[in-house]
Amino acid sequence: MVTVALDAMGGDKAPVAQVAGAAQISLDPQGAHVILVGDERRIAAELTKVRHDAERITIEHTPNFVPMDASPRHALDATPDASVAVCARLVHEGRAQAMVSAGNTGAVILACARHWERLEGVRRCALAAVIPTERRRGERQDPFSLMLDVGATLDASPEDLMAFAVMGSAYAARISRNPAPRVALLSNGTEANKGREEIVQAHQWLKVHPSLNFIGNVEGVDLPRGTADVIVTDGFTGNIVLKMLEGISETVLELGRYAYRQKFAWRAGMMLLSSGIKQLRELTDWQEYGGAPILGFDGVCIKAHGRSEERAMANATRVAAKAVRTNLVGAIKEGLARAREIKQPVQHPVVVEPALGGDA
Amino acid sequence: MTLSLPPLVYRWDLDKTYLRTEFDRARDLVRTAFQKAHEKQSVPGAAALLQALGAHPRTARVDFISGSPEQLRKVLSEKLHLDGIRVDGFTLKPNLQNLLKGRFGAIRDQVGYKLPALLEARQSAPADAEEFCFGDDAEADAFIYRLYGDVVAGRFTPDQLRDIMLRAGAHKKGIERTVMLLGTVTTDRDPVRRIFIHLDRHSPTSRFDAYGARVVPIYNYFQAALVLFDDGILDAADVVRVALEMVRSNGYSIRRLANSFEDLLRRGCIGADMAARFEANASEAMKDVPGSEGILTEFRRRVRSAVTQRQPDSSTEEPLNYGAILDSGPLKFRLPGTH
Repeated sequence: MVTVALDAMGGDKAPVAQVAGAAQISLDPQGAHVILVGDERRIAAELTKVRHDAERITIEHTPNFVPMDASPRHALDATPDASVAVCARLVHEGRAQAMVSAGNTGAVILACARHWERLEGVRRCALAAVIPTERRRGERQDPFSLMLDVGATLDASPEDLMAFAVMGSAYAARISRNPAPRVALLSNGTEANKGREEIVQAHQWLKVHPSLNFIGNVEGVDLPRGTADVIVTDGFTGNIVLKMLEGISETVLELGRYAYRQKFAWRAGMMLLSSGIKQLRELTDWQEYGGAPILGFDGVCIKAHGRSEERAMANATRVAAKAVRTNLVGAIKEGLARAREIKQPVQHPVVVEPALGGDA
Repeated sequence: MTLSLPPLVYRWDLDKTYLRTEFDRARDLVRTAFQKAHEKQSVPGAAALLQALGAHPRTARVDFISGSPEQLRKVLSEKLHLDGIRVDGFTLKPNLQNLLKGRFGAIRDQVGYKLPALLEARQSAPADAEEFCFGDDAEADAFIYRLYGDVVAGRFTPDQLRDIMLRAGAHKKGIERTVMLLGTVTTDRDPVRRIFIHLDRHSPTSRFDAYGARVVPIYNYFQAALVLFDDGILDAADVVRVALEMVRSNGYSIRRLANSFEDLLRRGCIGADMAARFEANASEAMKDVPGSEGILTEFRRRVRSAVTQRQPDSSTEEPLNYGAILDSGPLKFRLPGTH
């Protein structure tokens, strides 16, 4: 059974949601063994309140954690035994095979960078996020496509973009059970020569990659349509796109609430649509998906949303366990090896610090 | 020295306590009813634990009181015999009789069936015997065993007892039977020393806080064996035998056992002093077990890492406030999503 180290102190609702999520997983026959990392007294007190299987939960005590608003580097320098760092260490030591955290994104990435090795051919890790789309994909009719990078680093070279494509494709194939995910570069036009220099170069390499289903460039309008299953971009653009999509979603909901309040006829209309809206909300519920993978290291890390509750934490842990069971890291290594055959990447300086500290 | 200590009596429930029984769905109920003795599965470690308890020189009785119908007596007795379990008393529920007499409420009633059955069984036990009771979280076992202890300790008038049982949903026949037995077994002390609740439904352990420290919710019988070692009933070799049964017959890993050990430490059911004693004694008991040093190293690590605070001695407990317990919600634990 896969062992997942779960940062019990990271997240807006820690440790309550984290402990409840781990408890849920411990009762799942196909679940995972969970190591809850954090303040033992607080974790133990929460455990007594929830149904769980104590045989499948271990507590690794550490009194420290990185606050959500802290500077990742300063916090981890000051408390190298912070819960998120201990999670990464447990994976490094082989006591766990994956980690999950809903804590400070920058600290999660930095903890991985400090304890794990980057995979050969990966200069920068990538944070991937799922976005709801019109089109479904894979065996499970997954309504999400994967976008990366959404904030681990600011810019990306052609080699980085190719590595992101390989990692995103492997993730979609393993986790969404989509055997040939359609991979695309985000640009300002679908033509191969459109976009910045690094996008044009990456396009040339990606189209000859033997194991990628590269469909070319996509534009912003293609994201919600689901034209691609994996959208590759740099962290700066990806983060802006992600936040914009979240903002649109919130605005649409707010408009709905406004319409409901304003006119009786609109309210009646909304009520008639309510079951459809509910279904749509369930379908695109990020808590169901669990979390975003941090890709590029020799370990599995799922970054759950800072606001995650029990269900999201449990699902993030399930995704982490699945990534281990399906050998996600092995698949990425294989894809990267093929990418190296296409083009020997230019040697750029290694970047390990996360560029964006926000909760992606 | 042993002779001066009081004799010991063990009270066991059967379904979900000793036997792995599924009867949450009608299909499971039918399957359970037609299972042969050799097809019935005991809960991991339960057989090894009961064998050790049955063989203990201080053991006066091992009684089973089960809600299973009388018609299953033959197959259940056969199962216990196959497992090498000592049986001094075996009470089953007269469900057919209840059905024929139209006592439908009595078929589902736990408190009104088990409490008088325990009091009747007490009549066969030595007057000074101490009792260890085993039940599960699917029914109201913690409530019944605690109530039983208080009844034997003479803490209720007939009216008080009637009121509590009525509020707990007991059938009137059961209430009258209990009240009749009230004077026959009453002593000046509560004979129940420990109540183990097997967490078959994994209900939250805080649910049992109101019952006091002598009620120990357990995830498995390795945990019960450790507490009984702490109580001076079992020796380390017995505990190791329980663990080995769980490893060999039920695929338990050392990590699951170590987690169970650590969970007891965290909940204060055992103390770090006991853990050290167990480790010292287990080394000898485990010398022929392959990989035993690795196992003990893991246990040692857990003892060091667990933040423990032992619960107060159970003998200092006050009588329970049954009214508050009954006010706090249903006695039976319902799984989420069930009615």
